[in-house]
Amino acid sequence: MSADHPPVRRYRPPAPLGGRRRATGSPAGRNTKALLFLAPALIVLGLFVVWPMISALRLSFTDASGFGREEWVGLENYAAVFTDPDILNAVTNTVLYTVLFTPTAVIAALGLALLLNSPRMPFRSFFRTALFVPFVVSFAVAAFAWSYLIDPQVGLVNYWLRGMGIRMGNVLEDPTWAMPMVAFVAVWKLFGFYFVIFLAGLQDIPNSLYEAARMDGAGPWSRLRNITLPMLSNTMAFVLVFATIAALQAFDQIYVMTGGGPYGNTQTVVMEIYESGFRKLDIGFASALSYVLLVATLILSLVQFVFFGRREKDLS
Amino acid sequence: MTRTRIWTGAAAALALTAAVAGCSGGGEDDGPVELTFWHGYSEADGDVLEEIVADFNASHDDITIDTELKTWDSIDDTLLTALSAGEGPGLVAMPAERLPVYASKGAFASLDDFYADEASNTANLVPGAVEMEEVEGEKFGVPSGFVPLAVYYNTALFEAGGVDEFPQTWDEWVEAAKRLTVDEDGDGTPEQYGVVLPDHATVANGLWPSLFYGNGGGIVDGGEAVIDSPENAETLEFWSGAIAADQISPTGVDGIGADELFSGGKAAMTVGGPWMASIATENGIDYAIAPLPAGPAEQAASAIGVSMAVTVDTSRAEQAAAEEFLSFFLNEENSVKWSLGSGWPPLRTDIPAEAVAENPVVASLTEIAATGRPLLPGVVNSVDVLSAVDELTQRAVAGEDVDALLAEAQAEVQAALED
Repeated sequence: MSADHPPVRRYRPPAPLGGRRRATGSPAGRNTKALLFLAPALIVLGLFVVWPMISALRLSFTDASGFGREEWVGLENYAAVFTDPDILNAVTNTVLYTVLFTPTAVIAALGLALLLNSPRMPFRSFFRTALFVPFVVSFAVAAFAWSYLIDPQVGLVNYWLRGMGIRMGNVLEDPTWAMPMVAFVAVWKLFGFYFVIFLAGLQDIPNSLYEAARMDGAGPWSRLRNITLPMLSNTMAFVLVFATIAALQAFDQIYVMTGGGPYGNTQTVVMEIYESGFRKLDIGFASALSYVLLVATLILSLVQFVFFGRREKDLS
Repeated sequence: MTRTRIWTGAAAALALTAAVAGCSGGGEDDGPVELTFWHGYSEADGDVLEEIVADFNASHDDITIDTELKTWDSIDDTLLTALSAGEGPGLVAMPAERLPVYASKGAFASLDDFYADEASNTANLVPGAVEMEEVEGEKFGVPSGFVPLAVYYNTALFEAGGVDEFPQTWDEWVEAAKRLTVDEDGDGTPEQYGVVLPDHATVANGLWPSLFYGNGGGIVDGGEAVIDSPENAETLEFWSGAIAADQISPTGVDGIGADELFSGGKAAMTVGGPWMASIATENGIDYAIAPLPAGPAEQAASAIGVSMAVTVDTSRAEQAAAEEFLSFFLNEENSVKWSLGSGWPPLRTDIPAEAVAENPVVASLTEIAATGRPLLPGVVNSVDVLSAVDELTQRAVAGEDVDALLAEAQAEVQAALED
């Protein structure tokens, strides 16, 4: 702001209760202090995330098995990743899983968030909590529970469906239905998290916008299309990126429920990483595959952010 | 005060890091030797193993073996990380078909010298069991279990179905299974199956090779894939026909599903190992054991095997101690004890069936022990070979074209062998 402009009253957020504390000490001292406060998190991140990532990058250029005696093999592992027919199958399966999981989870979360954001909805808090509960359950536990529920011999779901005259059969052994089933378990488990994020996003939309729209005669559909969805696009980008990453990393429930079967139909990229590393003891190849997945995930996330970021800009 | 607290925290964090780093230390060569032994024997077999280990510890002042019970799966899941961190066991037991991959990656010590030593008690081991331990001509393990798959059948259901004699050939087997398959409400899904033949994973990995052998076929021979053969095509047509058309067995079942059907009295016969005996007893099912009925070419059965190996995470003294234990485990007295307690047939050919007659399960399994063939001995990438066979059998049973499937499996198995 230069001085020749007339003074403009600007909005200033209220000071937090107890007053704003003045920063003390020299900037250098403050940085040291900040670093000290960050140290525990940095140490943990460094030890358990950064260091393993560096190690994995190095291992991806070797024929390591985990027992010493490793030799530098250059790009051999990366070449193998791009030529192995099993990997192609795993990539196809992962894409299918992502297509099944991501839209379903995001639409379910958004729909329920819209529904439970409405003040006219009875038992709102109860439903909100109930929908979030699956997210708290560990993935392995959820997978075991679902395996039992849909078991053709002892499963409750099967029992109920039989009462209605429907025979479900052994879904997890069925090459057509195994993938939708494991994707469904992931939707059930994860959508509560996306739901909460959407709910927070919805509550950030100023009510005045809706009031103005109502005065202009906009109906519920028009308000959803022209206010809610555009105002949610940031949230949407976040949720979509998160859901896509979760889908690309699908492993837990697949490992528990199908083990990648029936005959490789639910074998995802991460299952393949696990199998190469821990079953075939080919750590070098598994590391290379992990890095390819990491780069692919990164590119996909960036594309999503750019795409939704642009929409945000168009709006303003 | 804050500053002091921060420094204390930082110091504590540093100390913790140092402690973690300092955890991994090597064994010493002098003095008493302590050895960790990972195994997955969790039932009666585990109790006997503990007894044998306790006897060993009592009779050896300078050696202590600590057993650590894990599930077989978790042994496989954690061995790699434990060994690479220098925290691995000295001795480990694992499913025999998992041994070659670890051995080929240098996780296990060679036991060639141990086998050459007369005191090792290995001279009279069942040859098929020893074959499981060989990778590229070198031995890396000692068998702790070797038993051919057998048929466990429900004698009450046999009686009710009017089947008096256990079938001896494939045709008789299918015939008997048809008589024992019952579809009471006529809805096309039997309530009781004559037999349950899993088509993938665990027991199926042994069942289908057994059926292939029975008709003169195989999977791998001399390091080459031999799965695409007319004999195997015949075998697959015969059994997928019996399973799909005659509904003698449910489809899409794995070993665990098969156990459940048999223990629930919903299948008259199942194929499995000694654990079926205890499962049947627990569920109040009267059972008997019989060898797999002979195929057109011969009577053969794939064996389930467990191997024990000495890891490279050992000093020379620890290695010697481990070998001392292995020869102790294989001595005559302990062989009989282990066999009676675990329910698995003796690993030594010089132990006659009479020596284990007091356990009828062991006695009947001992009689057929010689028919057992090791599963993919020496095959390093057994993971891909078995998943190719899984895919083949599942899709064949589902009614897909057998010749095309075999050609596909042949290519996959060959690729896995050349890996």
